Amino acid sequence: MRLRRGVCLAAFTVLLLVLLVSNRPSEIARRLRRIVRGARLELAVRRLEGSSAAFDRRYFYFLESARRRLPPGARGVAVRVPNPSEAYRDLAAYQFAPVPALLEPPSVPDGWLLAVFGPERPEGWREISSVAGGALLARGP
Amino acid sequence: MSGLAGHVCAIGAILALCAAAGFTASPALFARGAARAGERAAWSFCVGLLLIEGCVALALAVSLRPGWLAFLLLSGVAVLASRLLPALPQDGAPSALPPSPRSRLCRAAFLCLAVAGALLYLLRALTEPMWAADFLAIWGWKGKVLFGAGTLPDWMWRMPAFGFTHPEYPVGLPLIDAGIAFLIGSFDDHAMALLDPALQVGTLCLLWGWLRRRGVPPAVSLGASAALALFEPLYSAFTTGMADVPLSSFLLLLGTSMVDALAEEPGALRRLILAAAGAALLKNEGLLAAAAVAGLSLAAGRARWPARARAAVAALLPAAAVLGCHRLWRGALPLRDFRLGLLVGSDFPARFELGLRTIVDEAILPAAPGLAAFGLLVWAGRRAPAGDRLLALAGILVAIYAALPSLCVWGPEWLVRTAFARTAAALAPLAAAGTALRLSSVFWSSGESSGSAAGRAA
Repeated sequence: MRLRRGVCLAAFTVLLLVLLVSNRPSEIARRLRRIVRGARLELAVRRLEGSSAAFDRRYFYFLESARRRLPPGARGVAVRVPNPSEAYRDLAAYQFAPVPALLEPPSVPDGWLLAVFGPERPEGWREISSVAGGALLARGP
Repeated sequence: MSGLAGHVCAIGAILALCAAAGFTASPALFARGAARAGERAAWSFCVGLLLIEGCVALALAVSLRPGWLAFLLLSGVAVLASRLLPALPQDGAPSALPPSPRSRLCRAAFLCLAVAGALLYLLRALTEPMWAADFLAIWGWKGKVLFGAGTLPDWMWRMPAFGFTHPEYPVGLPLIDAGIAFLIGSFDDHAMALLDPALQVGTLCLLWGWLRRRGVPPAVSLGASAALALFEPLYSAFTTGMADVPLSSFLLLLGTSMVDALAEEPGALRRLILAAAGAALLKNEGLLAAAAVAGLSLAAGRARWPARARAAVAALLPAAAVLGCHRLWRGALPLRDFRLGLLVGSDFPARFELGLRTIVDEAILPAAPGLAAFGLLVWAGRRAPAGDRLLALAGILVAIYAALPSLCVWGPEWLVRTAFARTAAALAPLAAAGTALRLSSVFWSSGESSGSAAGRAA
């Protein structure tokens, strides 16, 4: 029984050590500083500085800017970016919710707006609002 | 108080209130004097979360905007229903012998580690707004749409272009997120991260309380809670906002109530029904877990046949009802990531092998020291039917998770890399409870604990 208990204590000590070493003091301090600093900032600014926008912070700025300029009753938003990826798609969908938003749909559904990230202005669309890093467009000449 | 602090406090108050609502309904779940405070608190919290899910689903279904009135009304109905159910017979509270001084030191150290683990997770969760890709595309997105639209928008499930949001997934977590947002009046995806640390604390309380009720020595119960609290693969910034942390809580509720039901404890079947419904509402893995519990219950050799059959039905029926409700609401939606036809494909053995090899390379080998220590603990413990059942449940689910990548349409490697580690990590509470029960008899003879409940651990 003593041997069994010894094995258990040794294994449990190793397990606790393995679990504890994953917590680096530098990371804890960094997180604490970030919470304290971010607590006073607006939610959108906290997301802008966070991990979900890290792949392209200008893109998040564009999305948030476009979201704030969406006309009331907008039925949906198609988003066009130079280099689409899943990260661009997920952030666009989330940021515009509850308004449906899709990245580069094969065809833009009727009544939806087009948010273009970058200088491109597709034909058949007119600019209804200039937003940071792009424009918000509606169908029309 | 404004900004993050204000919303964190508001959500904390809502979660406390939801636990209080669950507490008033919980006498129907436990015989008087049967549950430890920790266990009762954890059940109260989870029942409260089910009330939030229910109030949002019901209000949206009848085109009302969910809010305090709907929540209080449903809570009142739940309390009334709990009073109308037949009262449970009184059970003797487990008594414990005074612990030895060495055990007190151990307990204090483990308690400190458990508290440190909970605080560290709180820190990880609240560092920034929830950010995991699955939170943005699936769980958080659905919650935000439900809250923002104030209805059940059909396009969420019907537009094929939104397939990436997995419309086929259960809606329990989005309902909770939307419910909290309806109650505070805004969708704060940073402060809302408090839900997961609260669930962690609930899980730790349940683990501690349930193990103590089954006569596990205090030091072993607290040691298991401390190890679980520090388990970063589950309680990480990345998993916060996804369904894995909530599911891990409900899996422990499910496993422990299965064990209690097989022991024919008063109220255990009611708990099993709630836990199975809660797990199935959160994730498809919860549905699998309910089916696994039913199978395990039927195979539980030492329990009486009627108890086994009742436990199997109590696990399966609510899960099937949850599945039926989803079907009625959204219709039959195919699983986007899986194709059962791959099972009979000629390349199935190769896919299966590739999945297992990827699991070994990317999930097992990097975690080898911890897994070896865990394996040693399980091996060094002694047979305990209750603990072995929980470990068997975790083992069955790991085996299913390991086999599923071979049916993934995006390839076995993709599923292993994106999901295996975190879905398997959600089984940690079950593994901790099962292992602690096996270790109980190893440390029990040191005279730390006993009482009327001691024999239940064996």
